[in-house]
Amino acid sequence: MAAAAATDATSAKHAVGVRVEGVSKRFAHRVKGEIYAARDVTLDVAPGEFLTLLGPSGCGKTTTLRMIAGFETPDEGHVRFGSDDVTHLPADQRNIGFVFQNYALFPHLSVGENVAYGLRVRGLDGREVATRVTDVLTLVGLAGYEQQFSSQLSGGEQQRVALARAIVIRPRLLLFDEPLSNLDARLRVQMRDEIRDLQQRLAITTIYVTHDQEEAMAVSDRIVVMNQGRVVQVGSAEDLYHHPQSRFVAGFIGRVNLLPARVTAIDGDAVELDALGCRLALRHAGAALRVGDAAALVLRPEALEIVRADDARAVLRGVVVARTFLGEKVEYRALCGDVPLQAIRYNSGPADLVPPGMEIGLAVNVDAAAVVPERES
Amino acid sequence: MMNRHDWRARVARALALLAVPALALAATSAARAADTLNAYSIWPENWARPMFEEFEKATGVKVNFVRFSSGEALARVIAEKNNPRVDVLFGGPVETFAAGIAEGVFEPYKSPSFARLPARMKQADGQWTAIADDPLVFMTNDKFVKEHGLKAPASWDDLLNPAYKDSLQMADARTSGTAVTRIFSILEVNGRDENKAFAYMKKLRPNVQLYTKSGGGGTLPVGLGQAGGGIFFIVDALDTKAKGYEVTISFPKEGIGTAGEGIALIKGAKNPELGKKLIDWATSPAMQSNFAKYKINFVPAHPDVALEPSLAAILKDVKLFPIDADYAGANRKRIVDRWIAEVLNP
Amino acid sequence: MASKASAGARAAGAGLARDPALAVTVVLLWAGLALFVVYPLAMLFARIVVDQGHVSLAGLGGILTDRHQVRAFGNSLLLGALVGLIGTVVGFAFAFVAARGRLPLWLVATIDASVLLPLISPPFTTAIAMIFSFGPRGLVTYGLLGVKGFSVYGLWSTLLSEALTYFPIAYLTLRPILAAIDSNVEGMARSLGASRWRVFRTVTLPLAIPGIANAFLLLFAASLADFATPLILAGNAFPVLPTQAYLQITGMFDLRGGAALSFALLVPALIVFVLQRYWVSRRQYVTVTGKGAGQTPFDSMTPGVRAALLAVCGGVTLLIVYFYALLLYASLVVALGANHAFTLAHYRTIFTDGAKAIRDTLTIAALATPLGGLYGIAVGYLVARKRFPGRRTMELVSMIDYALPGTIVGIAYLIAFNDPPLVLTGTALIIVACYVFRYGPTGIRATIALLAQIDPSLEEASRGLGAGSATTFRRVTLPLIAPAFFAGLGVVFIRSMTAISATIFLISIGWTLITVKILENITELSLGPAAAFSVFVVAIVFVVTGAIARAVRLFRAPGATQVASLLGG
Repeated sequence: MAAAAATDATSAKHAVGVRVEGVSKRFAHRVKGEIYAARDVTLDVAPGEFLTLLGPSGCGKTTTLRMIAGFETPDEGHVRFGSDDVTHLPADQRNIGFVFQNYALFPHLSVGENVAYGLRVRGLDGREVATRVTDVLTLVGLAGYEQQFSSQLSGGEQQRVALARAIVIRPRLLLFDEPLSNLDARLRVQMRDEIRDLQQRLAITTIYVTHDQEEAMAVSDRIVVMNQGRVVQVGSAEDLYHHPQSRFVAGFIGRVNLLPARVTAIDGDAVELDALGCRLALRHAGAALRVGDAAALVLRPEALEIVRADDARAVLRGVVVARTFLGEKVEYRALCGDVPLQAIRYNSGPADLVPPGMEIGLAVNVDAAAVVPERES
Repeated sequence: MMNRHDWRARVARALALLAVPALALAATSAARAADTLNAYSIWPENWARPMFEEFEKATGVKVNFVRFSSGEALARVIAEKNNPRVDVLFGGPVETFAAGIAEGVFEPYKSPSFARLPARMKQADGQWTAIADDPLVFMTNDKFVKEHGLKAPASWDDLLNPAYKDSLQMADARTSGTAVTRIFSILEVNGRDENKAFAYMKKLRPNVQLYTKSGGGGTLPVGLGQAGGGIFFIVDALDTKAKGYEVTISFPKEGIGTAGEGIALIKGAKNPELGKKLIDWATSPAMQSNFAKYKINFVPAHPDVALEPSLAAILKDVKLFPIDADYAGANRKRIVDRWIAEVLNP
Repeated sequence: MASKASAGARAAGAGLARDPALAVTVVLLWAGLALFVVYPLAMLFARIVVDQGHVSLAGLGGILTDRHQVRAFGNSLLLGALVGLIGTVVGFAFAFVAARGRLPLWLVATIDASVLLPLISPPFTTAIAMIFSFGPRGLVTYGLLGVKGFSVYGLWSTLLSEALTYFPIAYLTLRPILAAIDSNVEGMARSLGASRWRVFRTVTLPLAIPGIANAFLLLFAASLADFATPLILAGNAFPVLPTQAYLQITGMFDLRGGAALSFALLVPALIVFVLQRYWVSRRQYVTVTGKGAGQTPFDSMTPGVRAALLAVCGGVTLLIVYFYALLLYASLVVALGANHAFTLAHYRTIFTDGAKAIRDTLTIAALATPLGGLYGIAVGYLVARKRFPGRRTMELVSMIDYALPGTIVGIAYLIAFNDPPLVLTGTALIIVACYVFRYGPTGIRATIALLAQIDPSLEEASRGLGAGSATTFRRVTLPLIAPAFFAGLGVVFIRSMTAISATIFLISIGWTLITVKILENITELSLGPAAAFSVFVVAIVFVVTGAIARAVRLFRAPGATQVASLLGG
């Protein structure tokens, strides 16, 4: 194992890319026999990139992360760090920094000793260790906490210690396994920003696992959406949001109205749909569709504009069923015929609120709409 | 790599730990010097040790011994028969030795004194030889006797007195040689008429509080007054008295049995010559004249050794039936089975 | 997860290949188990079924169907069940009042100490005290209550003596469970209108049931194996199997028959073990996390109930103290019951005549204790954390000598190690090995239990930071399971000082033990030296376990988990 201490990963040009090729992992299930926790997963992480694996529980994101870390061995496929094939390399030789969901701080060691652990394993001398520990604790905002024990710290503080411990060893790769799910909502938002800032500063290649799509969108350069062990779609937050390739991704990222539709015409980039009893023309890129296919129209709440019932722009008409006042925005639930729809309006003042029971019209912003195949492949 | 260094260290540590007991093992084996012999003694340490010390004084041979009860000692000898750990089995009721003959664990040997001993004090082929004789006695608790207005029992029938209901303790025939001697005494008293003997024992049963596992097991309760009385070997009874417990020893006028204590050479012994030396010495007046000195209340087996005066006084005018070891050995199982069926759990 | 699936086996095998430290340790442990657990039992079994050179079960049918032995078997089960029941109830009472009674700390500490006493007593101590106190002219029955002709032999006295000796196991098992039941759960039930009694009946008790079942099974097994107490107290009307097996060998000179009877005891012992392993442990509702420190304990009992429980516990404690006071008294008078003059002669005796036994016992204890402790954590850690072929089998085999009554183990060792290829009789090693493999499993179970509470992510974190498996074990796991290590040490030491049933067959000219000396002395009516030896053993064990307990406290880092008990199960 190369002396990791010498590798200074704080400079972008030393950051390593990760390639996961066709990786699968099976487990024996007591009832179901053998199941695939991850099936044929392929992804590329660019050096210095912040990539998030996103999906519901059981989708295989944690398993994939653990295979990258070396805590699990793939049954098929390869994992490469840069040009090294690390598929069968034990975790302790991969020079990674792993941050656990439950922090996994050593309860019998102080904060300082926890952070110093990886450095001591690497045989650094006492002075170097002390310096680095002090520096990294300052970096995460815990200066002076060396003598504390984890039982004396709050959740957020423990998370920072875990983070400090992982980055002080200057790993090639930073891996996060749902690190914020045990924190309260406000702290989660604060911490995710700090993690993002830190990662940008240190420019370490980072792979992050979460089930929270808002969190994923906030921190990532790119997101890998996974479901049932497979990679479903890869892209930036905007890509996934505006151009989902499947019902699953459409429904998973953000809030959505999914309406049955039929493809009536395709012309290069443009698609014409029959939906809601009207004809809509969208610019659509991505999933292969043919004329006559059953499809689903993806309408984000903000793609529906609430207008007066007699407004000419109104494509649909309905009744407001419920209204939720959230401060900066107001969510409306409306019923158009027998189709429930969600819409959002930014709060532009008290006079602007639409009362429940009122008849409204809905205009569709087709630029913000998308279409996906009806069936999952 | 961290891995390899650590496992080497751990293996080294494990080996080091194993070395300690290995050294202990070696140390104990080395302890057996040339002029030492090993024995299991059924006699308690207080008696065996002085005897072996006298033996060492007389011959220069050291005896390493450990004490077991008769049953355990024989069990060990039998278990070890493919690779005997001792040379001699010392002391203990001769019926223990009789049981060992069937297992083939003894080496026949006739010491010079062999010829001088009466037939019941030796096994015909020399598989065992008696070194002492041990009469049975009645022992009663003084307080109990006084409280119930009794006198120390002087007849077998005295024990049938209802005053003794649930108060007697004596040995269990399933586990103790003392009981076998007792039962065969009762047989002798009744002229070997088994039905009469068993009738007596059945009548006695309600008075028996407990049949004890070991021969002397009842002596403590009698001494403490938890039991009123019992039938024991004289050595156990006199020991109880010597400890200070208020008990009285008496004998039935009809007579009571006495059984020998034996010694034998173990087949396959590692030091057979030394073992023979010990047997020679033990079966001769050389050892047995020391009984008096050390207050060991056995009757010497060798006819040339005089009985210690106070012991002689106790045994004066007492009618003793020597229990025929061969007869007892041949019928033991049958009699004991019958005792279990008819007397123990009627 | 991966059990029999071929993928799992391949992964397990591959895991071994990549980790040489693991492979070496597994091989060494298997060697030890094969040699000291499997081989002796196989030899014993061979001795039973081979008669005069050919395989035959003739003659065994007789003894196994003998009316008397069958009754003894039934009696053993009955006694075991009753001891389990009464011991668990008493233990529960103690545990409940100690854990939930909001007692002052000094009182809890006193309870802990006095409850420890019966567990570390040498054999026969309570039995002799019982005879002296409750016999026909007993101190209590005759002297105090004027009852004449009271019979102290039989089921009730054996039951009482064994229940008193073993209830501390129930206490030590139940206390941490009762302490850990979330106060909030009970508080919730109260807020819904349930009375304290209803809360106890419908919330506390059901949550404690796995612990109660575990305690019952432990006590049942302990009673099943006890041959010393019934030897003195059971009397003729109530034979029990372990004593019968012992007597068959030593009284009737029938090794085969005695061994066969001992194997009959294997059946209930294994059933107990299986039940415990597969039924009870699957239903653990409560994990001991030590996290409840910040809460005010829920007010579980009315003052009246608390007083009643305290009275019961106080009564039992008084009884225990009385027995030990009697023991101490017997060691200081010339002859208990005959001559009550004060004397130190008995102590002189044990340190002169008994010096070798003391030296030998302490030497063997000193050898066995660290080996037993290491064995405990090694097997416990491997079974709980590592995957390798035969892992479940190793766990099962390691528990065999623990589950069997000591008589069987002793005889098996005697038979196996007297003949070549491996001759160990007459050495200390045979006794040390017996102790390590018979009492080490407590450390194994304690380690497994403790590891179950320690998240594997801690070890993964260490690996992720670059530490190999040996370093991880040393720097992360070992400090965290140190309490289990010390618990294992404690148990092996205590048992080394007080064991008799197995080792009575293993002593030799070279090595003898204090407990055997005690038995000898009792047989020869030398109550004084017997009592003096017993007091000595109790004193030494108290000192050493106290030192171990202090070491645990020193060692335990601020964040490490609490250990359930020093001696648990």
